[in-house]
Amino acid sequence: MNVCSEQELDDLRMSVRGFLSVRQGEFLERAKTWDAPKIDLPCWQRISTELDVQGLAIPEEYGGHGYGLPELRIVLEECGRSLAPLPFLSTVVMAATALIASSDDEACDRYLPEIASGRLIATLAAVEKSGRWTPAEWETRADKCDDQWLITGTKYFVLDGAGADLCLVLAHTPAGLTLFEVEGRAPGLQCGDMSGLDLTRGYARVYFANTPARVVGPLGEGMAIVENVLENLRIGLAAEAVGAAERCLEMSVDYAKIRFQFGRAIGSFQAVKHLCADMFVQFEGARALLAEAALAGRDQPEKLPVLAAASFVECSRMFFFVARENIHLHGGIGFTWEHDAHLYFRRAKTTELVLGGPVVDYEAVLTKLGV
Amino acid sequence: MTTELEAFADEVREFLDSNAKRRTAENRKVWGQGSDQVTIFRRERESRRSPEMRARREWLRARFDSGLGWICGPIEHGGRDLSSAHEILYETIESEYDVPDTSHLRMVGLNLVAPTILAHGTLRQCTQFIRPLFRGELIACQLFSEPGAGSDLAGLQTRARFDGTDWIVNGQKVWTSIAHCSDIGELLCRTDPAVAKHNGITAFLVDMDTPGIDVRPLRQMNGGAEFNEVYFTDVRVPDSRRLGPVNGGWPVALTTLMNERSSVGAEDSLAVNGALNIEWLTQLLDSLELRANPAARRRIAEIYVRRTTLDQLNAQLRRTVRSGRTPGPEASAGKLLNSRNVTEAAESISELLGPQMIADNGAWGTYGWSELLLCTPALRLLGGTDEILKNIIAERVLGLPKESSGGVARDGSR
Repeated sequence: MNVCSEQELDDLRMSVRGFLSVRQGEFLERAKTWDAPKIDLPCWQRISTELDVQGLAIPEEYGGHGYGLPELRIVLEECGRSLAPLPFLSTVVMAATALIASSDDEACDRYLPEIASGRLIATLAAVEKSGRWTPAEWETRADKCDDQWLITGTKYFVLDGAGADLCLVLAHTPAGLTLFEVEGRAPGLQCGDMSGLDLTRGYARVYFANTPARVVGPLGEGMAIVENVLENLRIGLAAEAVGAAERCLEMSVDYAKIRFQFGRAIGSFQAVKHLCADMFVQFEGARALLAEAALAGRDQPEKLPVLAAASFVECSRMFFFVARENIHLHGGIGFTWEHDAHLYFRRAKTTELVLGGPVVDYEAVLTKLGV
Repeated sequence: MTTELEAFADEVREFLDSNAKRRTAENRKVWGQGSDQVTIFRRERESRRSPEMRARREWLRARFDSGLGWICGPIEHGGRDLSSAHEILYETIESEYDVPDTSHLRMVGLNLVAPTILAHGTLRQCTQFIRPLFRGELIACQLFSEPGAGSDLAGLQTRARFDGTDWIVNGQKVWTSIAHCSDIGELLCRTDPAVAKHNGITAFLVDMDTPGIDVRPLRQMNGGAEFNEVYFTDVRVPDSRRLGPVNGGWPVALTTLMNERSSVGAEDSLAVNGALNIEWLTQLLDSLELRANPAARRRIAEIYVRRTTLDQLNAQLRRTVRSGRTPGPEASAGKLLNSRNVTEAAESISELLGPQMIADNGAWGTYGWSELLLCTPALRLLGGTDEILKNIIAERVLGLPKESSGGVARDGSR
């Protein structure tokens, strides 16, 4: 696996930040118009042409750059910071991880170079009505008729499902849970938006009615793929959370310096100072945990399951705390539609709950620890 | 691991094998055996000449003489000038051995006073004190707080007047940990009451057996008496013991304080860590038959996640802070997280134990936790209160404006 030096990581961060920061105003204004598409396709292609980051963590043999979580984390932090409407999490974290975990060379050959070059948007349809990552609850199944697998069922909370060219689907078969690939325009596939809290990210309901599908990886090996995807997804969501939380902290501190009441900047009052300090302390801790978890992904894979679970729950809870207090610190203006603070609040709560919420997430940590 | 680290690990094992016993099943801390007291501060007041203290001093000497006493320190003062990765490696390997617990000696003398001398002392002072501190020949305490100068440390009133040869010190210090076991103390005195409070302070290194120094124990709320009041009556301190310039003691104090905050946050040899790890907490769940109780499991998981978070923050701080360099105000974050973590952990464990926490029913691993609960209020006070640390973070890290505009300090300065 290739490794970036500290300096290269900083350079990577700066170039992604530079690219996204000039567009951030536009991203956030767009999000505030209810019906805007949740993926900015031209921007997705542009970031591929200019920065070529989609393939950062995809192996070189499949057209990527062969780096790992420590590098991908930087890109995701920056996406979180600007709430960029780019399908990194769905395409690069969920779909690409599922493909790599499947060890299906043909499927990897077919799709990973397309993902790496920014030409393909892909997602993973896993959870169903409850949104929980408990495959036993899922009902979607695949049956083999003649030589063709057909999928029937409904998947929910499919990230970027509406715009995806490729939908990887986890479905039960007589051999057990299995990963399938379904082209976005396959017959019998229908997609509906789920209206949701997070205005910067689209979740879809995807219906399959005898939809033709191709098996990815070995039959019945879906559970192992779920585990792999969850690990990277936890790191990916935690990274977005850290990047977005850093922006919230900056917004708060900047505002506390320029907002005057009683003839002084509100940031000179201890009540305000201590709130900012609390945000900073939580943020620093969570960021450090995430950084170590991402490093473990490369250097100590045996530690990744526990550290990924711990950093997801810590970072997502920290993000919600910081996003909520950011609104408070801004006073009434922070509660308005026109202010950006609510977009971060919405993203924060969505992040905290999307894998089941803290009740489930803390249990996941204990499970990984064997408690 | 690099070959350099591997070679170092071999050296460490060789030293430990010939100077200490490896921990075995018999002498490892095992749930259900030995003392079940979980505590931060010792219950018993130690004496300077106790056999335990002698063993600790000898252990420091053995480490230092083998070149492992000050792994990150500069070579000219007996350090090895290696990276903090080496130091972490040493500690990891040492934890496999049964060695005297020198944590409270290291805490003040080696983590706080020695780096301050290195940063502000004359070459002669460095030579005179640093090596003996690391060799365990000298034990040091920190004579900072006063009854009227706690969070507002710069308001301290202990006076030092120069009589042409010596400084004559009069006043009172308080909350001085291990003063009764110490050979020297880092002392802050007011040397010019006429100027703004931060500009009239001078630091000294005082011999604790100088006539006129009276050390009296203070009993803490947990029942122990690890800290003291120290009275100074016409105590003579030679000018050669002045640390830094006359009236230039505030930057000296800040060096000590910044090191204190980072060490308290990073302190992982406190007794709590033997108990707040996941193995121990799982044992607790099992012994209380709460393994399947979701509320109890959530408490344990939160303790684990928060401790892991702090461990990683400390690991990062250690990588950036090398010996001889003063930790930045960011180090205060670790101290704040640590005191919150331990406080909340003690409260969570209280909830799991219920009545078994309030009176001793004789069952192992139950009432012993009450000691930890009784120690926790100190964590949010010592080494800078939560409130002071948050001010530091807000002003020096986040750049928020000072509150002082319009406020008048207690001593009349602005």
